[in-house]
Amino acid sequence: MVEKVRTVTDVCCPFCGTLCDDLEIDIDLKTDQVVEVRNGCQIGTKKFYASNPSEHRFEKPLIKKNGELTEVSWEEAIDKAADILVKAQRPLLYGFSSTECEAQSRGVELAELLNAILDNTASVCHGPSLLAIQDVGASLATLGEIKNRADTVIFWGSNPVHAHPRHLSRYSDFIRGYFRTDGRNDRYIIVVDPRYTHTAQIADKYIKVKPNEDYELIQSIRAVLRGTDLDVKEVAGVPIEDIKELVERLKSANFGVLFFGMGLTQSLAHHRNIETAIRLVTELNDYNKFILIPMRGHYNVAGANQVFAWNTGYAYSIDFSRGYPRYNPGEFSSVQLLMRDEVDASLVVASDPGSNFPAGAVKNLFKHPLIAIEPHKTPTSAFADVVLPAAIAGIECEGTAYRMDKVPLRLRKVKEAPGESLSDKEILERIIEKVKGKLGE
Amino acid sequence: MSLDDLILLTGRTINQGVALEGGKASRENVRAAGICAFDADDFKKLDCLVGTPVKVITDFGEVVVYSTISEEGPHPGIIFIPMGPWANQLVNPNSQGCGTPIYKGINAKVEVVKNGKVLNALELIGNLKNV
Amino acid sequence: MDEIKLKIKKNLKFPLEADSITPDNFAGKTIAAIKKLPVYYATKKMTIGDFFDVSGKSTEVGNTKIIMEGDLSNVKRIGEKMTGGEIEINSDVGMHVGNNMSGGKIVVNGNADDWAGAMLQGGELEITGDAGHYVGSAYRGFWQGMKDGVIKVKGRVGIESMLWAKSSKPANKWPTLYCGSADAFLGIHNHGGTIVVEGDVDRCTGADQAWGNIVVKGKVSRLLPSYKKVGEVKEVQLPNGEVIKGKFIEYSGDHTIKKETAGRLYVAA
Repeated sequence: MVEKVRTVTDVCCPFCGTLCDDLEIDIDLKTDQVVEVRNGCQIGTKKFYASNPSEHRFEKPLIKKNGELTEVSWEEAIDKAADILVKAQRPLLYGFSSTECEAQSRGVELAELLNAILDNTASVCHGPSLLAIQDVGASLATLGEIKNRADTVIFWGSNPVHAHPRHLSRYSDFIRGYFRTDGRNDRYIIVVDPRYTHTAQIADKYIKVKPNEDYELIQSIRAVLRGTDLDVKEVAGVPIEDIKELVERLKSANFGVLFFGMGLTQSLAHHRNIETAIRLVTELNDYNKFILIPMRGHYNVAGANQVFAWNTGYAYSIDFSRGYPRYNPGEFSSVQLLMRDEVDASLVVASDPGSNFPAGAVKNLFKHPLIAIEPHKTPTSAFADVVLPAAIAGIECEGTAYRMDKVPLRLRKVKEAPGESLSDKEILERIIEKVKGKLGE
Repeated sequence: MSLDDLILLTGRTINQGVALEGGKASRENVRAAGICAFDADDFKKLDCLVGTPVKVITDFGEVVVYSTISEEGPHPGIIFIPMGPWANQLVNPNSQGCGTPIYKGINAKVEVVKNGKVLNALELIGNLKNV
Repeated sequence: MDEIKLKIKKNLKFPLEADSITPDNFAGKTIAAIKKLPVYYATKKMTIGDFFDVSGKSTEVGNTKIIMEGDLSNVKRIGEKMTGGEIEINSDVGMHVGNNMSGGKIVVNGNADDWAGAMLQGGELEITGDAGHYVGSAYRGFWQGMKDGVIKVKGRVGIESMLWAKSSKPANKWPTLYCGSADAFLGIHNHGGTIVVEGDVDRCTGADQAWGNIVVKGKVSRLLPSYKKVGEVKEVQLPNGEVIKGKFIEYSGDHTIKKETAGRLYVAA
């Protein structure tokens, strides 16, 4: 029998921060298209299929001429992009979380050349976690340790059944580990959320918290842990007896872990929610081993923070306008800058602020020239002035990505990119060359 | 036919994740993310069929989406719109000095608009380009 | 006092970073020399003369008063690290006004943006309008913020004002904030700071306060559950010697830090 497909094994899935590394992809030998994905979750599988050529994918560089995106040569598109960036007085480079680390470091290089503002998607998701960790530190561990040891698992403001579909079965819930030989039965799962989420529905204990009152609830847990008798009967909709019971449960754990998500970082009090959660975890270490892990969304947003931090000293929201990196989320973060209309050109790499920023910020983003390095037609790239078609990192080019617990894993190339697409790294390198030429360096 | 004093939450759903990877301009994306999930009892007060377009209004904007009943209830007083262009018409861009907008826990109200048109992602975001 | 007048002559599309505008930098300089001091606009290094009309004269730091006119709502870092003299700003002003100052006085006749008086080490900052977030706060990652000096805000202060304030009894340093009303997380991580609020405050006042005094003459919306009622008092004695008369309910907290805490929150009865 003649082989019709080739199989690539041990592929990392470039979708969420769980970064599953056991996927198997079948590629049709004749067409070089993905025909089968095994082991992946629904979303990851779809991402591999969506890399096949379709009406949603760009295959050639495009420039907006007379209101229409028209196909041009790479040379012309790169020249136009470099022109926009060099002419801008306060350019913003944003995105970087869905690409590999080498492209991210090219982003830093370009930002420094242009004295630009450099930001990644953490500024709209786990930025508050980074702020809180900067304030009070954090006790972290790898997911492997959790798999083998954790007997008490809290998901706070996080819904992994939907957002990290294989997290529960690979690391935190159903998986059997060295000391947790009976898997799910050896673990006690607690979910704190305003909605009875699908994760909550399979948990041992569900705590319904009122929206935006997480901070008060964690504070009272900490006070009870200190042995204080509180004056109140209930906090954030949770009766005080439940809080006391929860504290006893947490104290009696062998190895506890707190996973937290957008429910804490994107509601009122932002980083203060995380800060008090970190302090709760720290204080629980008086009784047992307790750690926490932010549930990162994009597969390599943790990598973006690492790369930016080892290059500039700061993880996100970095301003190079004075020639050296400065950092202050709220002053130099993308949404704030756009709301104040302080940006006059943007380069978006592997991200979709058009979909994910509040409407007011998107309006101002579109007012000024916009360059998108993006494989797909999205509400950002469809309205960009220059579209540079990219190969999808982790599917069509190699690279390194950091899992949510900051473990670096190697991404694999399973197929060729369609059309004239280039990798994010190569596109950024070409822009850097061009910008250097225009700046006379 | 309308509800006040609701709290809007937004976030990831697996359908939304699958749809956005499958093409953000697709109709599938509208069905996955251009929806508003109600608590079952709240939905009865609206007195309409599942799938009827509703207009969700906050201090920061308004958008027309399809109504549906939440699988993750009961959560009386809370409505849920998956993250994406529709939700982002409504969220609070003010980050309170920390850089991250408030995507969750925003006061909202809802009106049934039987003939309302739910725009797809490109039409919806395209409206921001033209103003 | 010798006066120097600065009038802004351009509309600003981007923020202007003017950390060179301090009495320390102006003292003893001619007008021409002052005009050559650097300011930063977008990605460019420019000079004060490019943006301001400058007039007047200056001698020594303590005797120099800078008066600023025109729309300064997008001018950042005025009075950064100043040690003496005075600045009068007759406009709304941008971020970081008077950050790290250790002496002298700044008066803002208008509103101030975020980070006004951040990391204040001494001196006085007065704002007649509202102030943004992080008034008198510690910058990101610092565990000791405002250490001395006084901030007076007539209107409202934003969230997380007086973050990580730190007093010192041996050095007799008592950082103090007076404000009209306040947003959430007033005096969070307070380590001895004094805060007096004429009106109401939002949620989570005094969160994680280790010691210090917060006096609220209005209401507190959603008092933290980790605060406990101690009793009622007829007057409050502040560490800087001031006495505030009136009936207050005394709360101790924040009990997340310690079971027995020296932190106090007084709310009008």
